Amino acid sequence: MEWNAEGVRAQLAAAGAPGILSVDPFDGAAARVRFSPESASALFPVLRDALGFTHLSTVGGIDWVERYEVFYLLWSDAAKRYLLLSADLDAKTPHIETASTVWPSANWHEREAWELVGIGFDHHPDLRHLLMPDGYSFHPLQRSFKLHEPEDLEVKVRHV
Amino acid sequence: MVTNDVSFVEIETLRSREFLPAAKEALGSMIKEQGESKLIRPVFNWAGRNSLFPLHWGLACCAIEFAAAFGARWDAERFGVVPRSSPRQCDLLIVNGTVTWKVAHKLIALYEQMPEPKWVIAMGNCATGGGPFRTAYSVVPGVDKLVPVDVYIAGCPPRPEALLDGILRLEALIRERGA
Ligand code: SF4
Repeated sequence: MEWNAEGVRAQLAAAGAPGILSVDPFDGAAARVRFSPESASALFPVLRDALGFTHLSTVGGIDWVERYEVFYLLWSDAAKRYLLLSADLDAKTPHIETASTVWPSANWHEREAWELVGIGFDHHPDLRHLLMPDGYSFHPLQRSFKLHEPEDLEVKVRHV
Repeated sequence: MVTNDVSFVEIETLRSREFLPAAKEALGSMIKEQGESKLIRPVFNWAGRNSLFPLHWGLACCAIEFAAAFGARWDAERFGVVPRSSPRQCDLLIVNGTVTWKVAHKLIALYEQMPEPKWVIAMGNCATGGGPFRTAYSVVPGVDKLVPVDVYIAGCPPRPEALLDGILRLEALIRERGA
């Protein structure tokens, strides 16, 4: 089958993938698939098992001010193709089901997206700080985060 | 004033295996003459400031200049400065790079593992005040927020000469304090 937007759309439909909003062509990937965040936990296993996207390369988040976006870059070893998944999240309390139960590599990526962008990942096994020390209370890649005077940013350092 | 300086003249011509007994004898007789505190403290000060052992700990780009300072061209070992890999063997912490909040408590732990007396050199703009990352969300704006700093070296990065100058200034400082 063709690894373009039409091909991916047909495959998704054949596999009965839930919650697909749109499938568009995307540079460097087979397609860009938008899905609704509520269907995340049902969609992820279909992508891995039926479509063969066995590897999750990265998870990231973007703050678009009026909404958040979470994206996943999947890789299929069989087809040698990337697939870009993305979902729009609510601006007040952005959260989505974790992908780490389907792709274990999501664990650290989701920790990073939570810590820097502030996206919550439900049922994540270990949502701790990754790049910042424990007790760091900012999400610095949010648009509302201002470059502070260093004094404002003083972090309590744990003595060991 | 050291009266019995004959022994020191002899020490210069000694082979290394004869040095320790001779030094012991010379110091012993001087202590007897002059009393402990007058002699021991200056001797320790002299020995300490001429054999500063910095911790072998590279944090960021400044560590490259730190490494160069110990290479053949600048050869910091001329001044008795030998990097050691364990904080237990060190009396000088050269903070040579950007300190993030994540690594801050490790830096404090390393500092506290060093035996007294100990000194800290903040090498480069990052360690001195955060450098180009001063307003960044993850960087400690100056390592003096974490540990007491004795000598600051400006530059991004400071050249090895500047590091050597900082070390010599620290030696002068230790001599001045006379601890
Ligand atoms: S002062 Fe400059 S060279 Fe040194 S660690 Fe900071 S950025 Fe790198």
